[in-house]
Formats: sequence, structure tokens, C-alpha cells
Amino acid sequence: MSYGSIKALRGVNIEVNEKEIVVLIGANGAGKTTLVESILGITPVEKGRIMFMGEEITQKKTEYVVASGLCLIPEGRGILPLMTVMENLQLGAHHFKGDTSENLELIYRCFPVLEERSKQMAGTLSGGEQQMLSVARGLMSAPQLMMLDEPSLGLAPAVMKDLFRTIGELNSAGYTILLSEQNARQALQCAHRGYVFETGEIVLSGTSEELMHNQRVQQAYLGGVV
Amino acid sequence: MEIFIAQLINAIALGSVYALLVTGFNLLVVVGGIFPFAYSHLVVLSMYMCWFAMKMTGDSVVVGILAGVLSGTAFSFITEPVFRPLAKRGAVLGSFIVAMALSLIITEFMAQKLNMGIVISFPQSLQGKEALIRFGTATVTAGQIATIVGSIGAGLGFFYLLYRTKQGRAFRAMGQSPFSARLLGIPIVKTRIYAYLIAGLLGGISAVFLAMAIGTASSSLGDNLALKVMAVSMLAGIGNLGGGLVAALILGLSEGMVLAYLPGDWSQAIAFGMIMVVVMIRPKGLFGTMA
Repeated sequence: MSYGSIKALRGVNIEVNEKEIVVLIGANGAGKTTLVESILGITPVEKGRIMFMGEEITQKKTEYVVASGLCLIPEGRGILPLMTVMENLQLGAHHFKGDTSENLELIYRCFPVLEERSKQMAGTLSGGEQQMLSVARGLMSAPQLMMLDEPSLGLAPAVMKDLFRTIGELNSAGYTILLSEQNARQALQCAHRGYVFETGEIVLSGTSEELMHNQRVQQAYLGGVV
Repeated sequence: MEIFIAQLINAIALGSVYALLVTGFNLLVVVGGIFPFAYSHLVVLSMYMCWFAMKMTGDSVVVGILAGVLSGTAFSFITEPVFRPLAKRGAVLGSFIVAMALSLIITEFMAQKLNMGIVISFPQSLQGKEALIRFGTATVTAGQIATIVGSIGAGLGFFYLLYRTKQGRAFRAMGQSPFSARLLGIPIVKTRIYAYLIAGLLGGISAVFLAMAIGTASSSLGDNLALKVMAVSMLAGIGNLGGGLVAALILGLSEGMVLAYLPGDWSQAIAFGMIMVVVMIRPKGLFGTMA
């Protein structure tokens, strides 16, 4: 996907290839959320193009983009607290054509906690469980590209480890992932490539190896030497 | 004693129509994202359509019912584009103002152009005044039974839609968080249109039952009903669908019983009184505001 300039973002160009994990690093307000929301069609794009699987989706409505196989797991999870776990999952498959019971089985196998709590109100789940639900909900539609915006926000360190492990497992299972994270260290450890954002622009890009050993990245985002 | 029971049945019939009305109202609040003050006025307009249809077809009940239900649905559908930009911006107060303007236009139209402003009276065949059940000196009419059963049926159908179907889930998701609904790929505009259609359908059905229950209609009925629907909705908590049903029954019962035992039409005063009490003591309503 290549991308152009909009109000909060200037001259941004990124690419995500199949089966990759690409990470966007940067501080809060650097433009990462704006980027993923623009891809989904929530924030309008002034200049530039968004290509997805050979098709231009720049001006398309969100419902079209989601139906094409993109999904966004937003900052703060975006689950519906007053609906049950099961209903949240069913909503994830809103666009899925076909029988969703297989997807559900798969998800329950990967996340047994969700099966336990399937009849509970989603708002009563812990932060980590809600994050799990959010990811599981995204999976329900068997997306071609999963975008996660700050998934580690508000999670305890132990839960965070689980989260990144899960992201790695999903990738091994064939899912392409675009991750936006403030927690640069863990994100770079699980990603293939990354882009560094500062005030709406990309200042650095490269493989995760390169970024981890880059001095500037180390100073600003990794707290000194790795 | 029997008179009391007869009055009670009457009050329940009234309450069940209010329940339908408030459900349609709440649906527009929750999914439509507006304050549909003109909803009741459109319902009364549908009552007029029912009356006209019956006049033109020699008092055919079937035609009357169809006219009422279809026009209710159509009218609601037509107003959706008017409120769309307001809903998009989340301008609830703005939508209230627009709805009030719409209600004034409808009321004036009915007063000037429909039946030359004279009160319309629904034919006996629709009112269903034949007594179906008698006990002592009191009777329960076919109309009352049809209203109660019909309203329960429509209500159950609606709740089934809301809690057991995909579209219902989409409605509730939109009501709770339009942003999350959008991320899930729920088509926002289309879903709102469906909500207007269903609210219109409920409104059309209410129009028919109101014709049965009240027997007459006039240009001032719109304001009268709008007030009561607002009262019920606020009593329960605006947008609270389940609570709305209970509150509707409460208003129906109070109104029915007061109507039976006090001279004069205190019904509007009761409705206003309820709004007053709720706003002062428990602004979120008895059951809280939420889908």
C-alpha cells in the first residue's frame, strides 16, 4: 500500500506484503492512528492512494474496505461492553459469507477463555481478556490484513508477552499484520519490518533488525542500548 | 368490580399501543441517533390515510389496515434523508428542532387540508366494538383484544429481531458505539434506513390500533401523542427499549384509570406530570438510558 499526504500526515509511504508483520513505531500523536484509520476509510485522504490487493480503496466507504478483507482492532479494543462475548464475536463475522460456526470453533480453541465466558457481558472481562476478544473478533471475518492499533495499551507486562506471542502465532498461521505500537521493543522483536513516525512523517524505515540497532531508535524508543 | 376490570382492560389496551409507539421512538433514538419528536405526528397522518382508504373502498377493514401500515412505513422512510446529516454530526438537539418543525407542518396540514380540519371518525367495522367476552355488566370488545394481542405480537417480533438476528445485533452495536459498528463494517447509512423502516412499520401498526382504541383522530392528536410518547420514553430512560415497555404500561394504566374515574381529560396533565417528576428526581429515567 502506498499513501500520500493528508492534514495530519505528510508524505507517508508504506508497504505491507503478504505474510509480513510490519510495525509502526512512534509516540502518541505521531500519526500512527491517523494512518490506520485512513486506510479503513474513517479519516478522509486529501492526496495519495491506498492500494489493497491490487485494488484502489482510497475513497471507499469503511464497510467496503472491511468487506474486502481489512480489519482494524482499535486502540482501546472497541468491543461492545453491553453485549455478550458471543455477540461481539458474531458481530466480527458480520460480513463473512458462509457458516461462521467453524470460525467460532477455531477461535474457541485458540482462546479457551472466551468460550468459558461466551455468555458474559464483554464489559465484565479483564483488560487482557478484552484484548483477546478484540483480536478474536477481528479473526472472525478471516481477514487478509489485520491492523492492530496500540494493542498493548493498558495491559500488564505478563499479558503483554502473551499478546505479542499470539501475534507471532497468528503470523505463523498465515495472517498478515500491520501493528502500531508505542512499546517499540516488543513490537520490533516480533515484526519483520518497521517504520518510525514522528509528527506525521516517516523518519526511518527498514527491517526490524536494522531499526533495533539504529542509534536514533535506541535513544528515542528503546531507552538506550538494546 | 366488573366495571373496574373492564376499565383495566381498556387501560391495558391503551398501554400496549403506547408500548409500540415508544418502541418505535426508542429505535429511532438509539439507531437513528435523533430525537424523533415528529414520530407520533407521522403515526396520526397514517391514521388519516387509513381513514381515507376506508372511505374510498366502502369501509373495507383490510384496505384500511394495509393503508395505515404501509403509509406509516413509507412516511418514516421518507424522513430519513432529512435527518441524515444531523445524525451524522450527532446533532440531537438540532434533530429535535427539525422534528418539531416537521410536526408543526404535519399538524397544520391535517388541520387545513385533511377533511377540512374536521375530526375524523373511524367506521364501526374497524373499531371492533362487538363484545367478544362478557362478564356481568362489563364487556371486552374485539377491538381491545385485537389491540392487546396485536401489540404483544408486534412487540415480541421486534424483540426477536433485536436480540436474535444479525440485523438486530447491528442495531444494538450502532446504538452503543457508532464508531465500533463502523469498524466492524456495519453499513451505517443502510442500517439507519432499516431502523427508520422498522420504526415506520411499528408506527403504522400503532396507527391502526389507535384507530381501534380511540375511534377518532384530529389534527391535535399528533401533539397529544408526542407528549405521551416522550413522557413514557423519559420515564423509562430514553432509548431503553425494555424499560419503555414497562413505562408504557404504567402510563396507559394511569391514564386509563384516571380517565374512567375523573371528569375531564387529565391524560396530558398526567403525562406532563410524569416528565416533571422524572426530570427533577431521576433524569436518567427509572431504568436508565441505554439500548
